[in-house]
Amino acid sequence: MLEIKDLHAEVGGKEILKGLNLTINAGEIHAIMGPNGAGKSTLSYVLAGRDGYEVTKGSVLYKGQDLLDFSPDERANMGIFLAFQYPVEIPGVASATFFKTAYNAQRKYRGEQEVDAMEFLKLIREKTNELGIKDDMLKRPVNVGFSGGEKKRNEVLQMALLEPDLMLLDETDSGLDIDALKIAADGVNRLRSPERAGLVITHYQRLLDYIVPDFVHVLADGRIVKSGDKSLALELEEKGYTEMSAA
Amino acid sequence: MKQLTPLAQDYIGRFDTALQSLPGHDNPGITALRKSGLETFSKLDFPNHRIEEWRFTNLNALTKGITDDVLAEPIARSEAFDAHIIFTLVNGQIDLGNSVLDNLPEGMRLTSLATELAKGRTELLETEAAENRSVVALNTAFMEDGFVLELDENVKVDAPILIRFVSNGGSPTNARHLRNIVHLGAGAEATLVEEHVSNGGHAYFSNPMTKISLEEGAKLHHYRLQNESKTAFHLSMVDCDIKDGAFYDNFTLSLGARLSRNEISADILGSGATCALNGAYLMRDKQHCDTTTLTRHLVPENDSRQIYKGVLDGESRGIFQGKIHIAEDAQQVAGDQLSKALLLSDRATVACKPELEIYADDVKCSHGATSGELDEDALFYMQSRGIQEDEARKILITAFLTDVIDEIETEAVRTYFAKIATDWLEGV
Ligand SMILES: Nc1ncnc2c1ncn2[C@@H]1O[C@H](COP(=O)(O)OP(=O)(O)OP(=O)(O)O)[C@@H](O)[C@H]1O
Ligand SMILES: [Mg+2]
Repeated sequence: MLEIKDLHAEVGGKEILKGLNLTINAGEIHAIMGPNGAGKSTLSYVLAGRDGYEVTKGSVLYKGQDLLDFSPDERANMGIFLAFQYPVEIPGVASATFFKTAYNAQRKYRGEQEVDAMEFLKLIREKTNELGIKDDMLKRPVNVGFSGGEKKRNEVLQMALLEPDLMLLDETDSGLDIDALKIAADGVNRLRSPERAGLVITHYQRLLDYIVPDFVHVLADGRIVKSGDKSLALELEEKGYTEMSAA
Repeated sequence: MKQLTPLAQDYIGRFDTALQSLPGHDNPGITALRKSGLETFSKLDFPNHRIEEWRFTNLNALTKGITDDVLAEPIARSEAFDAHIIFTLVNGQIDLGNSVLDNLPEGMRLTSLATELAKGRTELLETEAAENRSVVALNTAFMEDGFVLELDENVKVDAPILIRFVSNGGSPTNARHLRNIVHLGAGAEATLVEEHVSNGGHAYFSNPMTKISLEEGAKLHHYRLQNESKTAFHLSMVDCDIKDGAFYDNFTLSLGARLSRNEISADILGSGATCALNGAYLMRDKQHCDTTTLTRHLVPENDSRQIYKGVLDGESRGIFQGKIHIAEDAQQVAGDQLSKALLLSDRATVACKPELEIYADDVKCSHGATSGELDEDALFYMQSRGIQEDEARKILITAFLTDVIDEIETEAVRTYFAKIATDWLEGV
C-alpha cells in the first residue's frame, strides 16, 4: 500500500529525513517510536503533503502511484488520513459543518451523492455513539477551547467518519486518559481490515497493548534504525533509545 | 490662492444654471442654503491628503474629472431583497414605477425630498449646521432628491423598508447628490435597508448624505449595501442624533465602487442610548474603501460599540478611522471599537486609525485593530480532510466574517447580506 524509499526531506532548509525506508502492506499496522525531534511528525506531514516539507530525494508510492504528485486534499480523498499531533483550532467554523464539508468532499471525489444535513447528523451520531464520544462538541467551533484530550478524540471521530485506507496517527495517545486511550484504540481497531493499513506514531508502549502492531520501528535522526515485532516496543520501554541505538 | 481642482471648478461654473432646476429653486430660504453650501465648498475644494481626516484617501482620480468611458462588466446581482415597502431612486430621481408605497402603515410617511420641498417643507433642512466638511457643503449646494422617512410617535414598522439607489449611465453630470432625511418620533421603530447599486459598469460619482434624528426611545436598524459600479466613486455620509433611550445601529456592507468612503457621525445626546456601528468590506483589484466614524458621547450614561471587518484581495486598500469622543461630563459611558482586516494577497493593504478622545474620567473604552492573513495551519488541516484549497479558503473567510454579520439583527437582512458575501467569495 505504501512504499517509502530513501526518503530525504527538508524543513526550513534543514534536512530532517535522511534516507528513510519503510514498506507498509495492506492489512498491516506499523508502529513508529523514536526520540523527540527524530522526524516522526515530519514523516507524517510529508505523507499528508504539508507545504514547506520539501522532499529532496527518494520516492513514496501509495497504491502504486507517486504520492508526492498529489495535493493534500487529493491525498485525503485517495484514502490517507492524518490524525494530527497538534490538532488545529478553527474559530468560527462549527465542527459539524466542517465534518460534513469534509465528508461530502470525499464522497464527491468518489463520484457519490453528497449527503444532506439530516442524513449527516444521523451518521455522525452513529459514530459518536460507537466511540462513546459526547456529541456536544459538534456544535462548537473546530477544536476551539477543547482540552488536549478532547482534541485527540476529535481526530479519532473524524477518522471514524472518513474511514481512510491508510491511517496515520501522530501521537494520538499523548495526553489521553485511559478511557480516551481505549476510545482511540477502538477507533483504529474498528477500521482495521485486510484492505486497510495504519502507521501509529507513539512514545508509549501502553497504546500498543490496545492497538497491537504487526511491526515496530525505531526512527532516529531521520532514518529507521531498527525494526522488529511488537516485542521491540517492550524492549525500548525497558532500555530507552540511547542504549538501543548503541546496541 | 491655490488653483481649485478641475471638478470643483466645474461645479462652481455650473452652479447658477443648475440652481434653476434643483428642488426648492423657487424658495429663497433653500436657495440661500445652497449658496452658502457652494461658498463653503468654493473655499475648501475637495478634501486632499493634507487634511488629517483624509490622509489615507486620495480623491485625485475623482477631482480631475470623471469620464464615463470605462465600462466594466455589469455587476452580478444577488437575488434582490424581498420587501413590501420600496422606494426607488434612479440616477438621483424618484422612480415611482419601481417603488411600492401604497401600503404604508398609519403614522409613517415615505416621500421624496423634492416633493416635500415643493410643498414648502423647508424646515426639513433647517437643522443644517454651519458645515466645514466640504463634501457635505457640496451636497448641500447640489442636492437633487432623496427619501424622507418620518414616523410618528410610537409607530412601529416591522417590515424592512427598502430604499434602492440605482445608477445607470447616461446622465449628463454623472453625479448623484442625494439628501435623505429620517426622523423617528419618540418610541417609533423601523428597519431601513439601503441598496446603492448600478446597472452596468458606468463611472459616476455617488454622494448620498443621510440625516437621521431619533427621538426618545426610538429604534432604528439601518442596513446599507454599497454595491456601486466598480468604476464609480462613492462618498457617503450619515449623521445621526440619538436621544434618551434611543437605539441606532448601522451595518454597512461595502463591495462596490472604485473608491468609496463611508462616513458616519453619531451624536449620542441622551442617557440610556445605544449606538452600534458595524460593517464589512470586501475589496479586490484596485478598490479602495474608507470607513470613517465619529461617535460623540455628549451626555452621561450611554454606550457605543463598533465592529468592522474587511477582506482585502488583489491590490485593494482598506481604511478604518474610528474616533470615539467622550465629553467632559459624559460619565459612565462605554465605548468599544474593533477593526479587523484579512489580507488575501501580498499587495492588499490596510490602514487603521482608532482614536479615543476622552474628557470624562468614569468611562469604559476599548479599541483594537488587527490585520492578518489566512491561517495556513487551518488551511492545511482542512485540506488534509479532503477539502480543496479554494473551498477551505472560503470557509475560513466566511468564518472571519461570521461574527460581524451576526450583528445584523433582522434575519432577512442578515441572510441577504451573508448571501452577497458568499457570492463575492466565488471570485476569490
Ligand atoms: N519549520 C522548521 N524549521 C526548522 N526545523 C524544523 C521545523 N519544523 C520542525 N523542525 C525540526 O525538525 C525536527 C523533527 O521534528 P519532528 O516534529 O518531525 O519531530 P518528532 O520526531 O515528531 O518529535 P516529537 O516526538 O517531539 O513529536 C526537529 O528538530 C524540529 O525542531
Ligand atoms: Mg512529533
